[in-house]
Amino acid sequence: MNRERAVDVFLSHITKRYGRILANDGVTVALKPGRIHGLLGENGAGKSTLMRVLAGHILCDEGFIEVDGVRHAGLTPGAAMGLGIGILSQDPLDFPPLAAWENFALGGPPRTRKQARDRLAELSESLGFSLRPDEPVERFTVAERQQLELARLMDADVRLLILDEPTTGISPEQKDILFGILRNFAANKGRIVILVTHKLPEAEELCHEVLVMRRGRLVGSFEPPYDAGLLLETMFGPEAAKAATEPEITGQAAMAAIRVREAAAPQKAQAPALAELADAAFSDEKSALPPVSLSLRPGEVVGVAGVAGGGQELFLRGLAGLARIRSGRYVLGGADMRGQGMAAFSRAGVHFLPASRMEEGLFPGLSLADHARLGFPRETGDLRDLFTRRFVDRFHVPNQPTAPASSLSGGNQQRLLLSLIPDDTRLLVAESPTRGLDVASCVQVWEHLHALAAKGTAVVFSSEDLDEILARSGRILVFFNRRLTADTPAAGQTVRGLGRHMTGRAAHSATKSPA
Amino acid sequence: MKSPSPASINILSALGLALAATLAVLFFAGAPPLTTLTVLFGGGLNSTASLLKTFSSFIPLFLCATALLATYAAGLWNIGVEGQITLGAVFAAGFLRLPDPGSFPPALALILALTAAFAGGALWALLAGALRVYGRVHEIFSGLGLNFAATGVTLWLILGPWKRAGMASLSGTEPLPEAFRLPGFAGKPASMAGLVLAVAAFALVVWLLRRTTWGLKLAAVRQNLKAARLMGLSPGRRMLQAMALCGGLAGLAGGLLVTGLYHRLIPSISGNFGYTAILAVLMVSLAPSFVPVACFFFAVLLAGAVQLPMALELDSSLSGVIQGVLVLAFLAAGRMGIGGKLGGKLGGKPGGRLEGRLTGDTT
Repeated sequence: MNRERAVDVFLSHITKRYGRILANDGVTVALKPGRIHGLLGENGAGKSTLMRVLAGHILCDEGFIEVDGVRHAGLTPGAAMGLGIGILSQDPLDFPPLAAWENFALGGPPRTRKQARDRLAELSESLGFSLRPDEPVERFTVAERQQLELARLMDADVRLLILDEPTTGISPEQKDILFGILRNFAANKGRIVILVTHKLPEAEELCHEVLVMRRGRLVGSFEPPYDAGLLLETMFGPEAAKAATEPEITGQAAMAAIRVREAAAPQKAQAPALAELADAAFSDEKSALPPVSLSLRPGEVVGVAGVAGGGQELFLRGLAGLARIRSGRYVLGGADMRGQGMAAFSRAGVHFLPASRMEEGLFPGLSLADHARLGFPRETGDLRDLFTRRFVDRFHVPNQPTAPASSLSGGNQQRLLLSLIPDDTRLLVAESPTRGLDVASCVQVWEHLHALAAKGTAVVFSSEDLDEILARSGRILVFFNRRLTADTPAAGQTVRGLGRHMTGRAAHSATKSPA
Repeated sequence: MKSPSPASINILSALGLALAATLAVLFFAGAPPLTTLTVLFGGGLNSTASLLKTFSSFIPLFLCATALLATYAAGLWNIGVEGQITLGAVFAAGFLRLPDPGSFPPALALILALTAAFAGGALWALLAGALRVYGRVHEIFSGLGLNFAATGVTLWLILGPWKRAGMASLSGTEPLPEAFRLPGFAGKPASMAGLVLAVAAFALVVWLLRRTTWGLKLAAVRQNLKAARLMGLSPGRRMLQAMALCGGLAGLAGGLLVTGLYHRLIPSISGNFGYTAILAVLMVSLAPSFVPVACFFFAVLLAGAVQLPMALELDSSLSGVIQGVLVLAFLAAGRMGIGGKLGGKLGGKPGGRLEGRLTGDTT
């Protein structure tokens, strides 16, 4: 096979059904050599399905893929790799307990340990990575795992590189390195890059062409200069496009929004602290955080930022009573919570909203009405009535009390979880509350969280989206390398500034950083 | 039960598959297939005596299957039923050694003995439960280990501290005094009290699982342990409760075996009822309404198996092979869709809490 030739890929009428859902509906795309293609669309638009068909992970029901003039009705992962099609998945497909060089050697040609390590070192150097070859991958950051995966794909000499949301969980600087590599890759020998993303600025920055998918169809193809408004309208439909621009607000607009929220919670500034951490050190089975000291006031909305594995995950769980408090004090409403179980935290008014909704929050096989019964055990009246009043009328959960939770879409799962938050919650800890949601659901989530805050609930949330943190919170905590590196008002903060904290480059900056 | 529906036709096709597999086994075992089947299925039904024999296996089997519904409802794979029966038997036999048969009211003695049996089984199950909840030892491993430990305990008691006067014998301990035996039925040791207890236990467990919030909480624990924790349902406590109930009922079965059937403690008193109950419950994919039927079916097979050597000079262990093949064929039919989704369709309301365990997730 001639890997020197420019690659030529054509997808014709790709259709893929999952039960009643049409994930891809006759998508036809011609990919041009030497170009970086952006593939945009909201969640569930069918981007990942299309890419997985191209990478051979799934078979399409109709249509075909043409590579270098040869038609393929369907590819297997091996066949796709053979054709030079490689995918960098959103969650790296590696083997965490194995060392970096072992991961690198897997799937490649047979090599001795020395050959594999040398080749990895050579590639790392040419790509500008510094990967420790003997370290198990589980100790790598998301960015390093991605780099290792990228090195493996380069070693396999891919000609078409697919990246599925590659900037989730990596810092802005790491993103710049990645984008540099992609530009080089595409410019060289007429190779192709497809960047799957829902982040408009990234597509604008990097891509020679932007393809937009909506509801399983390819609905638009754009070339620079891009019109952001038009792109959004194509992605979300006209009415939602306006709302979608909202999380983009920063700086002055964000400050104005925060002032509105502060006005809505007037008791905040004077009120005594709701929760007080004094050198509280959280740990779970896998890891431990150094002691943290801070206090939370009623009505505060606190955004927690950090790259994946930065420690913010454990911090949130610790706040919610889901991690052990190794040392120090955690006083909540006057009572020390150290050594208390989940039930005590619930009684104290703490509620946790997990990011993996179906895995941690809901009972897939139980009906919606059963969820209501479990969530409100003290409700003695008619359960049907509670379900209609609260779940359906107030939170727009589908009015199907006997349907199992597994039948719900992502947005409706979050609606069900929102309706299960008691109204008298004093501290709500929300892990990526809008992850994977469409615009309308995001808006509903934030309306409800801000309504809770206005009534005096302290809301602590994490997000992978720094824009969301800047736009939605009044105070921001940043974690880096398992430490709280910044605790600052949101006003005046920027994405770049937060990014520096998240990567530990702001150690000497002016923001106060508790020990 | 509903009138014939697609679901019941599917059950018939699953039965057909099971029968075909059984016939194939018999053919290869060199047994005359049809005669063997007649003996196996008819042997437990063709006379009053054999019917009583069938019922004497049905009672412990039904109690253990009922017990298993509680642990399966919480997503626990309690395979320690054998040991729990054994400990129930040990506790009952041990208690009945204490009072003087001449003066102690027999009814009270029996009630206390069965209570002790319940406690013994519950205790043994709680050991496995605690290992799971606090020690992260899966209940399959602890259950298996505790089964062996229970066998060891009985052998030690029979040959050691509780040995018959003058001789230690594997035939068991000193028989119970007449007063401390459950009244038989038509002169045979098949106790009516046992049947009543088993039926009552079944009704209670099904009511608990289907109609109470406690049952809903168990279902929640089975569906999603993490979410149950987040929702403050105390999943650890729920699992321990389910284990205790299950072990208690299994222990009760052991107590009934001592007071109603063997009238003494014998080695291997659990007689594989615990394992057979697992098969019976699996065969109907945990659908409670079918559990009595499945248990009766296995009881008939057990009674029929005893007659195999006499009638056909076949070893009675062939019955065990047939039981296994039947359950496998049933499960395979259900899993592969030959018989439709048995788990989802057998009895129970939509989104039911017990069904679908086998065809669905096993987390």
